Amino acid sequence: MITRRALLANGAKVAVGTVYGGTLVGFLTGCGSSDDAETPIVEVIPGGLMVVNPILCVGCRRCEIACSWSHEKSAVSPSTSRIKVAKNLNFGPHGVQPNYQDQRGEQGDSTIVPSTCRQCDVCMTVCPQEAISVNEETGARVVNDDLCVGCGYCADKCPQQVITIDKTTRKSLKCDLCEGSPNCAQVCPTGAIKFYTWEDAIAEVELHEKYLELV
Amino acid sequence: MTTTYGGWAGYILRVNLTTKVITKETTETYHDYIGGMGIGYKVLWDDHVDGIKATDEENQLVISAGPLSGSGAICSARTTITSRNPVIRNHLITDGHFGGHFSPELKFAGYDAIIIEGKSETPVWLKIVDDTVTLEPADSLWGVGIFDTFANISKLMGQQAQVAAIGPSGEHLVAQSTIQTQGGHSAGGHGAVLGSKKLKAIGIIGTGTVDIAESTTNEQLRALDDHILGIIGANNNGVVPNQPQSWAEYSSTGSRWRGGPGVTWGAADNPVDVGETPWDDRQKVGMRTSMAEMYFGRDEANKIFKRPGGCHSCPIRCFCEVKNPKMKTEYNLPTENITNVCLGFLDPWYAMGKPSSGEKRTDIQTVGAYYMDDNGIWSAYGQLSHLMREFTSRGFWEIILPAEEFAAINWAQYADLDAHFMQDFYTRIAYSEDYPGSNILGRCLGRGLHEFINENGELYNVEDILNEVDTPRMAELTFELESDADYDLVGKTYSVFLDKNMKVFNRSMVGGVHHASESAGQVGALLNTVFNRDPQCHSHINLINCGLPHAKIAEVAASLWGEGAFDPVKHYTAMNTSKAKFAKWCLVKNVLHDSLTLCNWMFPLVVSPDANRDYIGDSSIEAQMFSLVTGIETSEAELDAMAESVLQLHRALTVLQMNEIDQRNKHDVLSEWVYDLDHDMSFGDEGTIKMDRDDIQIGLDMFYAEMGWDKETGVPTRATLEKFKLGYVADKLESLALLPA
Repeated sequence: MITRRALLANGAKVAVGTVYGGTLVGFLTGCGSSDDAETPIVEVIPGGLMVVNPILCVGCRRCEIACSWSHEKSAVSPSTSRIKVAKNLNFGPHGVQPNYQDQRGEQGDSTIVPSTCRQCDVCMTVCPQEAISVNEETGARVVNDDLCVGCGYCADKCPQQVITIDKTTRKSLKCDLCEGSPNCAQVCPTGAIKFYTWEDAIAEVELHEKYLELV
Repeated sequence: MTTTYGGWAGYILRVNLTTKVITKETTETYHDYIGGMGIGYKVLWDDHVDGIKATDEENQLVISAGPLSGSGAICSARTTITSRNPVIRNHLITDGHFGGHFSPELKFAGYDAIIIEGKSETPVWLKIVDDTVTLEPADSLWGVGIFDTFANISKLMGQQAQVAAIGPSGEHLVAQSTIQTQGGHSAGGHGAVLGSKKLKAIGIIGTGTVDIAESTTNEQLRALDDHILGIIGANNNGVVPNQPQSWAEYSSTGSRWRGGPGVTWGAADNPVDVGETPWDDRQKVGMRTSMAEMYFGRDEANKIFKRPGGCHSCPIRCFCEVKNPKMKTEYNLPTENITNVCLGFLDPWYAMGKPSSGEKRTDIQTVGAYYMDDNGIWSAYGQLSHLMREFTSRGFWEIILPAEEFAAINWAQYADLDAHFMQDFYTRIAYSEDYPGSNILGRCLGRGLHEFINENGELYNVEDILNEVDTPRMAELTFELESDADYDLVGKTYSVFLDKNMKVFNRSMVGGVHHASESAGQVGALLNTVFNRDPQCHSHINLINCGLPHAKIAEVAASLWGEGAFDPVKHYTAMNTSKAKFAKWCLVKNVLHDSLTLCNWMFPLVVSPDANRDYIGDSSIEAQMFSLVTGIETSEAELDAMAESVLQLHRALTVLQMNEIDQRNKHDVLSEWVYDLDHDMSFGDEGTIKMDRDDIQIGLDMFYAEMGWDKETGVPTRATLEKFKLGYVADKLESLALLPA
């Protein structure tokens, strides 16, 4: 059985190369469809994470927006979003390279590689306040605002660089899987971001990591 | 203060390039004008200077966002750029727009608009990082192509910067130039304005937020988002698929809902077979447009289309991210990827004579798009390429150009549809007088057609115009094609107003036709009289090209504007008041969108793909968005009235800039071919889009009546201006004898 630890250690080796057919799209999120339908629910179970498929990502940043819309004050910004699209949007994960045309990003080969929280333990481990803990229902590593002092250790050490310290509240902003109903996946217009259990996520994470490399 | 409202960032930057002084002022001054275009027109009205050219120091340029940009509201990432435009006769004011991610970033940095004034002595770029706004030297960027400019500035600022820039064409004061932002998004006509000011680029990093009104909940935002997703269509609000699909009652080849069986994102690393795209599968909304095949044909598109793209907050994705390896291997470009849509691909194709789909067309469009965008060249909605194509087919260039220059141009490449021609073609336009040799071709094409024609559309001697001769000779060009014989034109002096293939629709604008009589008869024709450039109006297109059966569209149109508002395309009936109301509605919504700033290529959504709603949409969405985001409860009628105020201001400013009260005869005049094409058919016959001269005059009467404009002059009356809180405008026009009695 593939373990979460093995996955996070990038130890899984699964071949990629799937042809994404129409029937596959949306199968994990299963959003409702009709106008004014009830809010669609993404099934989240403990032991999983959100992953973006860079082939399907079309760069609209609706996931960022939905993240901002789903937490406390409705203040939209890539800064307050727990999923980060903007930082890799134009030039890819490695910034502006001399051969930027060959790298990822809108100005490169047009592949967009958003970063998501993998619900690893790093932030939880480095937090000196012990303000980050596991939500048993969702498996998300969540911040207790009452304990967080905004020191930024979690943001500095986050392997995916997806944690931000809110400029106003001085609290850590990290993915909490929307308490089991991740809005980012619900609004994605191509089904590029989905929730995967650890077992299912291996190929997706490997595909994602392929696009994190320099071309 | 503005902090009590959501939506608006609250501040406007005023950047004086002469004094290098940068100041902040409140946006609240402009709230009655919504934002975006409204801010632009108000600033240029307030600071109006008589008789200046677009490239004069006194001209201002306003880059503005509306209250919705950055809020997350669907399709709200448009940026409006307002200034005098050198491509337009008298350098009248126009607003151009680009999408992308620029205006949201501007809002995140804390600003609703940037007003650019004055002129720098040396090249500079504007650096905005939240509250820190500085002018930086741009000597090393001057002369650099747009793509490398984006990269250089992003390297200096941080890769997350959003950058807008001009290319070599803007620097060389080429009238047909753009301001462009990352991803191939460009706004036309104002590149030379920034070039004249020596402002190469603007880079922005915003780490702040666009706040939503405190009274609005996250659940309300999501509910509205869900509601819109339930009724939105594909690009141009096509609400039925282009080809039959199992879930769809209707299909229409006119619909831009191209994503369906047989459509593949074939250049993706793992090809994506789009398959059926049911209207209610929200995770295929971003696949339903997939319209590369519109520009390349399906076979080519399935090879080179990598994915759809587009703007911040938009699920529709009208851009085409294309990968053509030959760009590198055969044409020696530094990339094999290009992104664009519509004229970005079509302009090179038009210029080369509209070859049929295949590899040659693909190469022309991808290589051409690269050179157009890297140089920052604007097509004026195809006017540039129509001129190139028609003058080539008529053999005019051989007459116009010096023999040495004509011989130096590789016409064999042109004739062979060889995309290598694109490099020299666009370089000539962009580098203008700095291109080696006489370069009459490039200087002519880049200057704007209006410069080279008299009141009758006849051409002056091109070199005399370029040399600014006081009394230029005429070019002595005549109609000589066989097809001219049908119109009894052979041997007569050539006029662009008589040549239907030149597509100059409005004699005042001298810009390419854009959704006019070919789309909605008199409605489209009247739309094309008001703005100073092509109207860029899709309010009508987003209904009439939705793909539903004509009877359904006509029913919706009748419910909104009265019986007879919409005729079958190419089977037009006489003008009526319903059409006048339809035309006015289109313009009001267009201005509303350019002020909010929202995409008029998608909104308004008066129809939907939902059979359960009998395909009816919701025209009040803009008001719902505005109310939720700003916290100011505003009805559709109230918001439309605010937009109409901006439209009235636009008309008044045109009157002021032209110093001309007779708009009816000096501005709102259509080209002769609009009435004379299809020589063997009459207005109203099935199969022709030709208009009738008397009918259009009746149309202007009716349209002016709807707008509250004086029948004789087409100028807003005092009563109309005061109704829209523009009494100060009436006062100024009256003081200059420009207000109707």
